[in-house]
Amino acid sequence: MSQPPVDPVKYIETTVRLPYHYVAGDHRARYLRALKDRKILGSKCSKTGKVFVPPINNSAESMAPCDELVEVADRGVVTTFCIVNIPVVGRDVELPYVAASVALDGADISIFALVQECKADEARMGMRVEAVWKPDGEREGSHEDISHFRPTGEPDAAPETYLNRL
Amino acid sequence: MTTLRDVAIVGYTQLPVVARDEHRTAIEMLYPVVCEALGQVGVDRDGIDYQVSASTDYMDGRPFGFVQALDVMGSWPPRQDLHLEMDGSFAAYYAWLKIQTGEVDTAIVCGHGKTSEGSPEHVFNLQLDPFYQAPLGLGPITTAALQASAYLARTGIGDDDLAAIVARNRAAGASNPDNQVREQTSVEALQQSPWAARPLRRSYLPPVGESATCLVLAAEEKAGDLCDHPVWIQGVDHRSELQTLGARDLTRAAGAKLAAQNAYAMAGIAGPRDVRFAELLATTPVEELIVCDALGIDPARSDVVVNPSGGPLCAHPIMSTGLVRLGEVFRQLSGHAAERTVDGATRAIAHGAQGHCLQQNVVWVLGTDRRAA
Repeated sequence: MSQPPVDPVKYIETTVRLPYHYVAGDHRARYLRALKDRKILGSKCSKTGKVFVPPINNSAESMAPCDELVEVADRGVVTTFCIVNIPVVGRDVELPYVAASVALDGADISIFALVQECKADEARMGMRVEAVWKPDGEREGSHEDISHFRPTGEPDAAPETYLNRL
Repeated sequence: MTTLRDVAIVGYTQLPVVARDEHRTAIEMLYPVVCEALGQVGVDRDGIDYQVSASTDYMDGRPFGFVQALDVMGSWPPRQDLHLEMDGSFAAYYAWLKIQTGEVDTAIVCGHGKTSEGSPEHVFNLQLDPFYQAPLGLGPITTAALQASAYLARTGIGDDDLAAIVARNRAAGASNPDNQVREQTSVEALQQSPWAARPLRRSYLPPVGESATCLVLAAEEKAGDLCDHPVWIQGVDHRSELQTLGARDLTRAAGAKLAAQNAYAMAGIAGPRDVRFAELLATTPVEELIVCDALGIDPARSDVVVNPSGGPLCAHPIMSTGLVRLGEVFRQLSGHAAERTVDGATRAIAHGAQGHCLQQNVVWVLGTDRRAA
């Protein structure tokens, strides 16, 4: 026992595999299904009237239920963005790319969006963008049904129209 | 002891326990429960000073998964929050402790998690030592069976005794609408069930399910403002034992025993003869016997009713099961236990546990009167 062990076992390998089957929830299930039809659904707060996308069951801010589902536009305004030069886990996108928060027309909070068909140094707050959908037959009812967002060429939105929708 | 603040349970709500809720995520299940609890005590979110939640990320399948619950617990404007990777009964202990500091007077304690989305059996396997216990495939059923085997050898009781305990719980639980299993059954029928891990039959194991729970605590005169029948915390303590299973006597719960002694002392009672019933987090009939022994309850005498709700053998929403015990005591002592009411009860014990073979234990003494000063 006083001698160090010959060829000690220094490591063990443990592979943890834990499968999960997440329930989407009734609101989110309808939202995902609507993407297949090129529609984006939000839910409206019964107290403040704010529209949340993706739809949530209750407003975290007001605690009130958001039972009513409403359709919002598939276009909106860049409220904040960054130009990404580092590879991101789980995405295969050419660097640099523009990651943006986009407030869709009719929504009170922004969704996270990948902006392409746009030079990185041309991205700006207030820029109008639209969803580029995957072709018919290829949409599966998932977030990847929107391939990306691209500039519409419309005039920029005024800051007061989006600064409270970050 | 005399400097302790009196704290009471003033509200409790839960969803009926089900095997799987297909329509709601864990926090979507929790939202109506929090709203109902606030409605029960007649306040909006601003009437609550503090919040503690209990869940486990491995069951949720999301790192830091508990933060989702903030969106349904009334966290805006920002307030102090605490999360425990433990059963809600322990979360309630930390809410009680925070109230003792005097910084807050009211708190909500929530338990949540969907057992059906992942694999609790695998998760609890990973809780064990990664070098030899986990790779050997030990899980909560096999560790409970090792414990049961040792207990049967030490005490000489047998399969008939275990079946009788399960039958008693199932009979009591049949009238509890929140239970997942609400069918009475006979000792003979229970003994027809195949072995899960001998000496435990499948029928001796709890039905694992999902729910959401919310308990409301309030201090001193606030308790009376929020509730006509507050149920006072007269004593509480919790103790944890060693992680290494081989280093413990699995047939005894030393932690539960010490926690009980301290809780009784804080409550100023001699022991269980001063209580009418006990709600215990015992997931097998053998665990029930071990916890009774630790708490000084003699199951052979009928002076303390054990698990009038039906106990975990009728519903085991992991992470909430201990909080359900506190909720059941509140319902009983505040006159909301309907058909399962234990007549004449003014004081009771609620026990919570976590970990393999009763590793961690919390013991509460609760009553319709304030703690004796």
